[in-house]
Amino acid sequence: MIDDKASLRSPLARVRHLGSARSGAEENWLMRLTSAALIPLTVAFVWVMLSLLSKDYNGVRAVLSRPLPAIIVMLFVLTGLYHMQIGMRSIILDYVHGHAKEWALMANLFFAGALALACVYAVLRIGFV
Amino acid sequence: MASTDASPSPAGARPLSPHLSVYRLTLTMLMSIAHRITGGALYVGTLLLAWFLIAASMDASAFAAVSGFLTSIIGRLILFGFSWALFHHALGGVRHAIWDAGYGLDKPLREWLTQGTLIGGFVLTIIVWSIGYAVR
Repeated sequence: MIDDKASLRSPLARVRHLGSARSGAEENWLMRLTSAALIPLTVAFVWVMLSLLSKDYNGVRAVLSRPLPAIIVMLFVLTGLYHMQIGMRSIILDYVHGHAKEWALMANLFFAGALALACVYAVLRIGFV
Repeated sequence: MASTDASPSPAGARPLSPHLSVYRLTLTMLMSIAHRITGGALYVGTLLLAWFLIAASMDASAFAAVSGFLTSIIGRLILFGFSWALFHHALGGVRHAIWDAGYGLDKPLREWLTQGTLIGGFVLTIIVWSIGYAVR
């Protein structure tokens, strides 16, 4: 808990979440962690996508049924969407204000969560159904 | 007694410090906002990847629809933009990682990194599309 006597911020500033919420460093770290992971994952993802170019419906499904391409695509999507969700949050916090900000923050999480589940579901369905 | 102060709020009456408009536009500034714009574009573009994967997990007619869109002129332009945004943003991330680590902030190297990642994004896009057209 924050020690009231030690803080220079007013109680109002604190409830409005102005200034440190004691969790900014973790978000900063997760952004860099996902960035680092996404560099090799992007190379691998582009390689998988290039291998799909000459394929028809059955050929695409055959490639995405193999473990390595399927894992690469799922890792890229999950890491990417986690990274994008943090990034979009900072864009929203910079440019959107008032109640619209709260709706936008919610929509951001719904978008990232729904897309992550949809992509992973689709890849697993190609492999197992 | 009600206040008759002309200003709408106490904060509104305070002088504002000069913002971005007082600075001369530089390439590093443009690349910073381009990093954010490409990130936002990739966010929306993920819908296309989800559509592609879901269609491939369904039947041949669903796949034909997404395939038809992606191979159309508009689809190719969107994919070209998506791939450029991906490479531009990835190289921008590498540049920011170097700067965050405290390297390359001095004048010649800083400008070299900025121009290098700008050109590098286009070069990688052209290389990948050349490979794409060669193998298809």
